[in-house]
Formats: sequence, C-alpha cells, structure tokens
Amino acid sequence: MRHIRLICLHWCRHAMRSGSGLVYLMVALVFGLSVAHILIMPVEQLMLKQKRELGQTDPEAVNQMIVGVGRPIAQWVLGLRSMQEIAEESAAPPSSAEDARADDPWTSYLLEEKPALLSAILLVMLFGMPFVISFLAFNQVSGDVQSRGLRYLLLRTERRHIYFGRFLGVALFSTLVMALIVATIVLYMTMKIRIYPGGALLVWAAQGFAALAILMLPYIALCSLISASVDSPFLSLVLAKVAIAGVLLVAVLGGLAWKPAKYLLYALPWAWQCHLLHPASSHWMAAGGACLAYTSVFLMVGYVRFAKRDL
Amino acid sequence: MNEEKRPGGLTALAVLNLVFAGWGFLSLLAFGAFLAFRDKIPTENMDEAERAQMEALQEMSLSSFGVIIALSVIANVLLLVAGIGYLKQKRILGRMVGNGYAIVSIISSVVSARMFTAEMGGGVNIATLIGLIYPVVTLILLNTTFRDDLTN
Repeated sequence: MRHIRLICLHWCRHAMRSGSGLVYLMVALVFGLSVAHILIMPVEQLMLKQKRELGQTDPEAVNQMIVGVGRPIAQWVLGLRSMQEIAEESAAPPSSAEDARADDPWTSYLLEEKPALLSAILLVMLFGMPFVISFLAFNQVSGDVQSRGLRYLLLRTERRHIYFGRFLGVALFSTLVMALIVATIVLYMTMKIRIYPGGALLVWAAQGFAALAILMLPYIALCSLISASVDSPFLSLVLAKVAIAGVLLVAVLGGLAWKPAKYLLYALPWAWQCHLLHPASSHWMAAGGACLAYTSVFLMVGYVRFAKRDL
Repeated sequence: MNEEKRPGGLTALAVLNLVFAGWGFLSLLAFGAFLAFRDKIPTENMDEAERAQMEALQEMSLSSFGVIIALSVIANVLLLVAGIGYLKQKRILGRMVGNGYAIVSIISSVVSARMFTAEMGGGVNIATLIGLIYPVVTLILLNTTFRDDLTN
C-alpha cells in the first residue's frame, strides 16, 4: 500500500509537468465554466431586465421561468420523454403544475426541490466530462512502455503498484479539478445570482460533485485498460476518445436504424449515469455501485494485460 | 539546461501560448473592424436589450477602447514572445516575459470588466473568470512547477 500511495501522490504532483495534467486542467476548467456561463448568462440578463423595468429583481419569478423552460429539456435529457411527446405536450392546453409533479417526480426534484440552475449545469457536466477525462488519463503507462522507462522503475517496485498507483493518481487529480470547478460555480452563484439559499446550493453542489467524481472512475479505468494495452500514448488517446464517444454515437445513431443497438450504451455508464442525480436513494446507490463495478472490471482486465505483457 | 530536458508540460504551455496569441491577434482584428464600422451598424431591427447594448457601445469613447486595445496588444505580444521563450527554456524571454503576460492579462481582464458594464454584455461574470484561467495557471506554473526549467 505504501508503494501505491507514493506512486499515486508522485503522479498527481507531476501531472502538470507531463503536460496531460495541464491540458486536462485547461480543458476541464474552460468546459465547466463555459457550461455555467451559457446557462447562467440568460438568467443574469433576465434579472437585469427586471431591475431596469421594475427597479428590483424577483427571484421567485426568475426561478419559475427557469423551471418552465428547463422542464421539457430536463425530461428529454433524462430520457423520460421523446422530442415528439414534448412537442405534442407544448401544443396541447397547459396541464397544471400539480399534474406535472405527479407525472414526473425526477424532474420536479431536480428543478423544484433542488436549485434548478445548478441541476442544469450538473446534468450537462455529467454528459460532457467523460469526453474530457481522456486528456488526463490516456498516458498512464503507455508512454513509459514506449520509452522503456518502466524497466528502471520496476527495479524498485512491482507492476501492480505502478498500475493501481497511477490509476489512483489520475482519479485524485480529476477529483481535485472537479472540486475546483464546482466550488467556483457555487461561489459565483452564491455571490452574484442570489436566487437560491447558500445552504441549499452547497448541499446540492456536494452531491453533484460526488456524482461527478464517482462517474469519472469507470472512464479513467477504461483509459487504464487502453493505456496498458498499447505502446503509443497518442494511439492510447485516440482509442480512448473513440471508445468513449464511439459507444455513445453508435448506440444513438445505430438505434435509429436497429432498435437493439441502443443497448450498446450499457457497455459504458452512458445509459444510466443521470441516475446519480435521482431522488430515490435506491437509484443513485445502484448507479454508484454500477460505476464501481464497471471500474473494477476495466481495471482488472487492464491489470491482467499489463501484468503479462513484455515491457 | 539543454532543450532535450524540456518537460512535456512546458512544451504544452508554449503551444497554448502560440495558439492563444494567434487567436488574440485575430480577435483584435475583428475588434478593430467593429470599431471602424460601429456607427454604421443598423439598430432598427434589434430588440430592446440588443439596441440598448449596441447604443451603449456606440456612445463609448474611443480613448476607452484605446486602453483595452493597448492592453490586449501588449498581452498578445508578451504571450507570443513567452511561448518562444518556453520552447528555448529562457529565463528572461520565458519566465520573466511569461510572468509579465500573466500580470498584464489579469489587469486587462479587470479593466475590461470595469469598462464594459453589464448593460453592454460585460461586467464581472463567468466569462471574466474563464479569461482569467490561463494567466493565473501561467503565473502559478512559472513560479512553482517550471521555475527550475527556465534557466537558459
């Protein structure tokens, strides 16, 4: 365990020097804050308009507007309604809010019980962050295999320490960056937007951060598996990108032509990762458990490959 | 220290510098074109908020724009020079100029946020924070992680 801890901390400390940490930090920060900016900017403009016309802002009206606009989008993102159903519903006479709540407790939980704006940001980040993580995790061992540098390291430690230590290093670095992004967004919303109580924002942000941190693990483990299987860091990056985005793309596009193709989404956590933000504890616990199960499978397959290969 | 020992992160930082400098110069060109034609932009078909925003920009003095352009030009030149300095691992061209860029860029962001009010689509918002990411990361890395790599 001491070796794994040392390798983990060393990897984390040197991630910025190696370049992958720097690129990931930049891409993740820009992506996370851009998502927040795109979603917060219209709200800020609405508040500015209210202040200009009424002399003050009305947080309740602003929140109602966010819920009204966000509900159909959230239902589509969560896979609860199709585009066609949403279009038909918007053409029909508006149903009462109580009916909508009874119909769909998940959306009501995200938009009414929790700060809606933060829920929207977290949903987009849950979808987008898996694409970003490979910038950090692609070169866990492949670069050292290519340069034969691992041979020198293996004089002092074992393969399993290097493999699992570096996986934990990537996970730790990714979690720290995620914490920085979520903290920045919450701080901004608390100080500038002021339509939600600070305590509610903080609690929901902590849950969202935990969901993001857990969701990254299977994707990092997939990158560990790929990195342990190929010699070239560039090839490892390309394969990681193709695997993560390709599964989603083939499942969504293939599902249009042949329905069973949509089950390909279950090859990675794509199909149920939104359940990490579900109101029922059984759902988010099952989603979290599945994330850990995927992580274990990818890690073990990768380790078996890494333990047997010629270095 | 010879160039073979340049860490991958420093190379990545140099590439990012060159890309951002190129992007910055293109943005300056676009900003210059906007300044040249800002009085000729028709506002009749815009909605109320857009018209107010455009009119506020049209009424802003040229000297205010001059300050922002001057700071942006200085920051972009320093960014370009520092990028080359990182590649050659130079102490003055790399570390000093890189620190200079970061400080000028932070000042430029603060000045822009103060000059462009929220009505103009500016002010302190998350876009300001996004603009601060690279200079702050540069400032931290040059004085911690890469401090001993820029010694030539």
